[in-house]
Amino acid sequence: MTAQLTTELAGPPPSPGIFDELSKREIRRAMLSGIAIPGYQVPFGSREMPVARGWGSGGLQATLSLVGEDSRLKVIDQGEDAGVNASNLRRLVAAHAGCTEETDTRSADIIQSRHRIPEQPLRDGQVLVLQVPGAEPLAGIVRDMDEQRRMHAEADYSKMWVRLYEDIVHNGLITEAAGYPVLVEGRYIMTPSPIPRWDVPKMNDSEAITVLSAGREKRIFAVPPHTRVVPLTFDDRPFEVERTPGAACRLCGSQDTYIVQEPGPDGTFSAWVCSDTDFCRRRRTGDAPAAPAAGGTAQGGTA
Amino acid sequence: MSAQAKDQDAAVGGTAWLELDQITERLGLGVDRVMGEAGLWAPELAARALRQAHGDPPEAAQLLRAHRTALPRLAIGEPVSTTELKVVRRISSAFRNPPGGQVLGRTLDYVGRLLDLMPEDEGKARNAGSPHAEDTRPHAHDHAHDHRHRDPDHAVPEEAVRTPAHVLATFRDMGLVAPPRGDGDPEPFDITRRPARPGAPRSAWLQTMARADTGSLLYLWYGSDWRPAGHEVPGELRHGILPLRVRHPHTGRPVTVAETRVSEVQTFHSLPRAGELPTSLDVGYGLCFGHNERKAISMAGLDLLLAHHEGATDLQHDVLLTLDGPDSTGYTQHLKLPHHVEYRSVLERAHAAARGTRLTERDTA
Repeated sequence: MTAQLTTELAGPPPSPGIFDELSKREIRRAMLSGIAIPGYQVPFGSREMPVARGWGSGGLQATLSLVGEDSRLKVIDQGEDAGVNASNLRRLVAAHAGCTEETDTRSADIIQSRHRIPEQPLRDGQVLVLQVPGAEPLAGIVRDMDEQRRMHAEADYSKMWVRLYEDIVHNGLITEAAGYPVLVEGRYIMTPSPIPRWDVPKMNDSEAITVLSAGREKRIFAVPPHTRVVPLTFDDRPFEVERTPGAACRLCGSQDTYIVQEPGPDGTFSAWVCSDTDFCRRRRTGDAPAAPAAGGTAQGGTA
Repeated sequence: MSAQAKDQDAAVGGTAWLELDQITERLGLGVDRVMGEAGLWAPELAARALRQAHGDPPEAAQLLRAHRTALPRLAIGEPVSTTELKVVRRISSAFRNPPGGQVLGRTLDYVGRLLDLMPEDEGKARNAGSPHAEDTRPHAHDHAHDHRHRDPDHAVPEEAVRTPAHVLATFRDMGLVAPPRGDGDPEPFDITRRPARPGAPRSAWLQTMARADTGSLLYLWYGSDWRPAGHEVPGELRHGILPLRVRHPHTGRPVTVAETRVSEVQTFHSLPRAGELPTSLDVGYGLCFGHNERKAISMAGLDLLLAHHEGATDLQHDVLLTLDGPDSTGYTQHLKLPHHVEYRSVLERAHAAARGTRLTERDTA
């Protein structure tokens, strides 16, 4: 009786558990709107997920709306497939949707990530879902949300430029670290989520779709394939990526990937290791391309 | 997740399994708070959540919210007026003896704050001898408020009205309250389906506050810069039972399918308006699931401010965007996740800025 009533009133029964079909449809609509207007923040009725808001509840909704039983899903946190947040989300989605868990970036259909874009160049047909803790690039500049929306609507980004200019005057350089603001297809300023600057150039002219989803702030935005994504900077101030001269991954020896510090044998932070564990492992077995995605190496040369 | 939670439960110790009716009956205010913050009336599920969350109400509310969001929407409840509220507690601090009487009901307000140090054995023995000891109904809490205590100093009618008229109605009759303004009774904003932002209608902020984190709501009202000198007076505070009616899918007639308990507050204050004499009272409204007077009072106080200061986007921003428990607790939890990719970037900028400063100093030296 109840099942019959449910079908009658609310459509076909949802797969039990965490997300219903009507909600998935809403998320897909929001993603399509985002793809149609690259960089524009589409509001959506974010649902509560069985993870804390801030642990990828937005990315999870996007991923759940995209995966099918035949999808291969890769989830990374800080570049690692084995991170606690990543493993948790991957298991959750696989259990709900019946998709296959994947760690090889090349074979994944959907890659949900927190704070990294993989080093492996993404290909046509892949979707990168980035978890977004703060969606609004103008949040630190004006507090009023109406004013933020007006600035986006009129492409009035003068205050953002003034902020970057003042940064140079005060500090000698632009101190924006991760989540560096970018201009998408010459129109909207967007946060790329807190990825390092190293990864920002990978968004430009990417083969894959990038979906950025903020569950707590209830906004989805996207970068379709082959879209211009340009970090904001001045003509005489080249965009700088993170680069430490002489540093290399202690495992694969690479100098052209994003590396993070580790304690060396002397107990100080003297060693470095790749943040992208899948790419590092394949580098060591000779199963990785000679050059990583057009990230830090391609444009970082000017740094 | 559940497997981990079970492991943790097992690790807590060898005491007896905590039964759901024990939680709903003995920790009823905690259960009510969880239901209020989750926005779901489900005492047994809330008790389950509170047990799974080791007694942490915000975590329990998150569990219940995640469960709630996956439930199908079978129907939309019919609007119900709180004039139908069957009160188990009803007080007015504006009148000594309001029409309908003061119904003190069950509350912790009037007992001294003395820690009960009765020996455990004695407490157990007394409980075993009490008339309620045999009462093992699972929803005992829901109905346990029926015995009303009357303040003997107040000459109340022998049988206080179970659905007394609102004090607000009295104020309206006296012409002290401005008639409701605005555009009538539009379809309410649904905060679970649309993100509410400053400028959203009153229904959005009332919903947001009704399921807000109790502590956050209390602070926003108590610590608000917008609060005027002098304080508002809750002309009416009620706790009682409200029916839930839906239209029958076949007959189309409204049918009562469940009852919920709510706390309701109507608060009054005379706030000055520029160029106007304070002849009429401002009204604030608070309503939340369960017995949570602190929340209803805070909510009514904030509603009064929001309604009075139309277009105060700062206050609307704080109410709509900072009060949600799962949002704020989730954000603090996310800070505990690894951030080392981001942090390498931050350190690199700090080093680069320091290097630049040294270069500049050398140039100018």
